[in-house]
Amino acid sequence: MEISRRRLNWGLAATLAAPSIWGAGRAAGETIKIGMVLSVTGPAADNGKYALAGARIALERVNKAGGVLGRQIELVTEDDQTTNPGAVLAFSKLAAQPDIVAFLGPIRSTQTHAIAPDVLKTGKPVCFGGTDPKLTKLGNSWLIRFRPNDTYSGRVIASFGVETLGKKNWAIVHSTDAFGMGGFNALSASLAKIGAKVASDQGFPNQNQDFTPVVLAIKSSGADIVGSYFTFDNDVALFARQLRQLGVTLPWVGSPSAVDVGAVKLAGPALYGVYGVADYAVDSSPQAKDFAGGYTAMTKLQPDIYSSWTYDAIGVLCDAMKRAGSTEPDKLRAAILATRGYKGAEGEYNFDEFGDGLHGYNIVRNEKGSIVFDKHIEFTD
Amino acid sequence: MDFFLQLLFTGVGIGAVYALVALGFVLIFRATNVVNFAQGEFSMVAAYLMVVFAVDLGLPYWVAFLISIAGMALLGAAFNLLVYYPLRNRGFLPVLISTIGASIFLGNTTLALYGPQPQVLAGWLDTPGFQLGPIYLDSQYLVIVTVTLALVLFQYWLFEHTLLGKKLQATSQDKEMAALLGVPVALMIMFTFVYSAVLGGIAGILVAPVLFVSIQMGSAIALKAFAATIIGGFGDVAGAIIGGFAIGIVETLGAAYISVPFKDAFAFVVLIAFLALRPQGIFGERVAEKA
Repeated sequence: MEISRRRLNWGLAATLAAPSIWGAGRAAGETIKIGMVLSVTGPAADNGKYALAGARIALERVNKAGGVLGRQIELVTEDDQTTNPGAVLAFSKLAAQPDIVAFLGPIRSTQTHAIAPDVLKTGKPVCFGGTDPKLTKLGNSWLIRFRPNDTYSGRVIASFGVETLGKKNWAIVHSTDAFGMGGFNALSASLAKIGAKVASDQGFPNQNQDFTPVVLAIKSSGADIVGSYFTFDNDVALFARQLRQLGVTLPWVGSPSAVDVGAVKLAGPALYGVYGVADYAVDSSPQAKDFAGGYTAMTKLQPDIYSSWTYDAIGVLCDAMKRAGSTEPDKLRAAILATRGYKGAEGEYNFDEFGDGLHGYNIVRNEKGSIVFDKHIEFTD
Repeated sequence: MDFFLQLLFTGVGIGAVYALVALGFVLIFRATNVVNFAQGEFSMVAAYLMVVFAVDLGLPYWVAFLISIAGMALLGAAFNLLVYYPLRNRGFLPVLISTIGASIFLGNTTLALYGPQPQVLAGWLDTPGFQLGPIYLDSQYLVIVTVTLALVLFQYWLFEHTLLGKKLQATSQDKEMAALLGVPVALMIMFTFVYSAVLGGIAGILVAPVLFVSIQMGSAIALKAFAATIIGGFGDVAGAIIGGFAIGIVETLGAAYISVPFKDAFAFVVLIAFLALRPQGIFGERVAEKA
């Protein structure tokens, strides 16, 4: 068969045009990718599961509503193995993918410190949940926090314990990682400001197998209240059990881990009556209730801090992309920091120049295994 | 004094767990000259089996215990056939790496099958503890110490007063000579893996009500148990037991009287001191003699 010149030209034109037509179609269908570093293995793997569920609920809602900038949002995850080297490796793998526009980082301060240098090199917004106050003061403008930092938790724990419960002699039990040390410093500074004192400073290594020495030291210290900053649920539960077994009935006001779902389940009655500061409390706002409805429907579990901050982070990120009209890193970061009055599950986001979005905490109490909202304390300074 | 006695009781309880896991290390080392780095995972797997049978399926505690121990015996046999036996003539290092691989496999398989949430397992006794004067005795620690001592006595009887024990000892001392004398060496090694898995499993089931059931529980115990075997003298049964109790007591007293943040370091300071001053451990033979 002879091919005419006209047919050949049409054929060539079609061949040349096809990739660009197909490419244009593909571009229209392309997703916006958000990277997420989370614990799939290691001692915080359960927390990682909750974090992923929170992010997925937000993602489903955004995508159902038509996505952002005409595109669907996609989550790309990497396991941090609940270790610092694991977090660095996980973030590096995600950062190597040029089409990822922003990241959800770890909830643990120590891991956030570990990835901070790579975050700076990558130059894209990283939303994180670590509460060490130093993290947004490192001179690393890409780190943006979605939980209230420990200067707030320290102030709320101190003010509630001293002013509401009337206790001025504190035993502070804390892990010796970045989170625990940051919390201890914040709480002891807040106590000093309002005239209370630290009777006993009890630091311990994470994944401790026995708290008898800690409990006996508290018992003999003359403390009239316990304050705590624990990193892992099983440490909270083991400490709570041994505290009660060895006859210590002091009131206890702890950081969020003292009232999170995992610790409450493991410790059972040993944590009854314990107060905690929690960035998430189901009865704290209509948005928190709405999130709880979606979360429980999806997971059959009660939501807690591990899931609420990732839910909010995806929400704020998508909102910022819409306002910026772009996923370009500088514009996206500026839009996130310009967020004012965004009502999330954790509270109202008003970012300051350092990248801290939340400035208050809820006080909650463990009432026979149920976490009951007491009040929200917001700071403006 | 009350303070000291309370700490001593806790140290002995924790030390009993290290001793049980250390026994498993020693038995396998004696039979195969290899350190089994999955010994801690045996404890973790057994604890999860208990959760499945006693909590999820609601079987009576003792029935769940017997099924879990039977499961551990099967796991020990499978471990021997799949992890040790194919590499038995390839020297020390390939087998050691194989046990590390098996340890990761067991941890991640359990994670995939059961999920990451730590689980609660009830104690063996209905009462959580007893007050003896100023000292609180956690009932589970009492069970741990009692069962450990019973198993030590059982093991003494097994090794010193039964033909099976003599065959196991002969295998551990000189496999070639034992084979020439008609001892079924492969079967003895199989039995050693089964028995070690059962020992590790009992340790896991015993400690689970205290430390909760989690994927990491085995590795945390195994690290200290490994230190205990070195302090006691690698390959020596009595040394492993004494090393286990010593580590438990030293770390508890060290945490209370010196520093809680350095609690884990005390065990390893003792370990380093032994490696520097008495590398053969308390009861162990000199490496040169073994070679």
